[in-house]
Amino acid sequence: MCSSSLEQSFLPEFISGDFDSIRPEVKEYYAVKGCEIISTPDQDHTDFTKCLELLQKKIEEKDLQVDVIVTLGGLGGRFDQIMASVSTLFQATCITPVPIIIIQEESLIYLLQPGKHKMHVDTGMEGDWCGLIPVGQSCNHVTTTGLKWNLTNNMLGFGTLVSTSNTYDGSGVVTVETDHPLLWTMAIKN
Amino acid sequence: MEHAFTPLEPLLPTGKLKYCLVVLNQPLDKCVRHLWSKALLRACADGGANRLYDTMEGERESFLPEFISGDFDSIRPEVKEYYAVKGCEIISTPDQDHTDFTKCLELLQKKIEEKDLQVDVIVTLGGLGGRFDQIMASVSTLFQATCITPVPIIIIQEESLIYLLQPGKHKMHVDTGMEGDWCGLIPVGQSCNHVTTTGLKWNLTNNMLGFGTLVSTSNTYDGSGVVTVETDHPLLWTMAIKN
Repeated sequence: MCSSSLEQSFLPEFISGDFDSIRPEVKEYYAVKGCEIISTPDQDHTDFTKCLELLQKKIEEKDLQVDVIVTLGGLGGRFDQIMASVSTLFQATCITPVPIIIIQEESLIYLLQPGKHKMHVDTGMEGDWCGLIPVGQSCNHVTTTGLKWNLTNNMLGFGTLVSTSNTYDGSGVVTVETDHPLLWTMAIKN
Repeated sequence: MEHAFTPLEPLLPTGKLKYCLVVLNQPLDKCVRHLWSKALLRACADGGANRLYDTMEGERESFLPEFISGDFDSIRPEVKEYYAVKGCEIISTPDQDHTDFTKCLELLQKKIEEKDLQVDVIVTLGGLGGRFDQIMASVSTLFQATCITPVPIIIIQEESLIYLLQPGKHKMHVDTGMEGDWCGLIPVGQSCNHVTTTGLKWNLTNNMLGFGTLVSTSNTYDGSGVVTVETDHPLLWTMAIKN
């Protein structure tokens, strides 16, 4: 194990879930260290969804100004759980007003709500590829700028057109206008 | 009309299914050896050839695909050279409007027709890991596949399998012994307004499935060994494969 000073540096505010995955000694360790252990046994929602609900409660309790919720993991492993992560992004609009990004390895996903969006992609950490995935329903009117293959009032839909392996035009800015929720995905440089 | 099949039958040593094999650019699972031997046709999509080449070091000659296709932005030059010299057909498909996987299926269907083969299923290895956009592209290809080939397509990687259920009634046998614990129904492309199932722990009875409403994940079986699904729109079935 790491030295005790390192151990103290990575204590979460809380750990929540139905606890069918957390190892007993891990749960014990964090409980002893003072982390809140919150059981959320509801089998109709995933641990991720329930965790967001609790997070939103704490954000409100502490009256925090939060720009984004960064989620690590959720995009690999079991296929049903990858889809559950995406599903949680859809449900999140009813849970928290804070935007949520999900990151794992070289991938990021973010759900664009209907309307116009402007994304700066000039941090230097952007990888080569990006895409727009009409998960859940077709988007009948999608217009973009800043991509190598832009859309101009096009329809995106599984069975019609899904934008994958797209990339940037070098301008450093991507705009997306969509009539239905549309999943943005992009590469993170190693 | 009810469509009955056993999704994991190709993985059974005693399976009698006639299938073709497509290898995509993801780490190759051990089941490739068994699947390779009984396949009618085998193809690699671009970087899938790298995976085959690296995994079969020492016995590459026993694992020569009928063809390798793609835009070849992933296949290593020495890998392409190796398989070309060994007599594998190397087919360039540069069209950037379709993925290597989609184009590989088109070529596979041509060859199935040319050779007049009876094929029950196309087994695809890879496609469910790595880059998120490419995972979604794999799913997208399943939607497009209905216009490419009448043969059902399953995609397998590590412990996951996906298969697109077309509108109608389906009956799946899940008693091969190779089924893992979980399964799910994912309304990827659009909401399915009327879904009814049997054989699951959490069944649906004329329910709606949709992102933002209800997506069935971490489901499991009721022990009967059979799952039926009736859906009004294409619905993605996913299930676990035991290690």
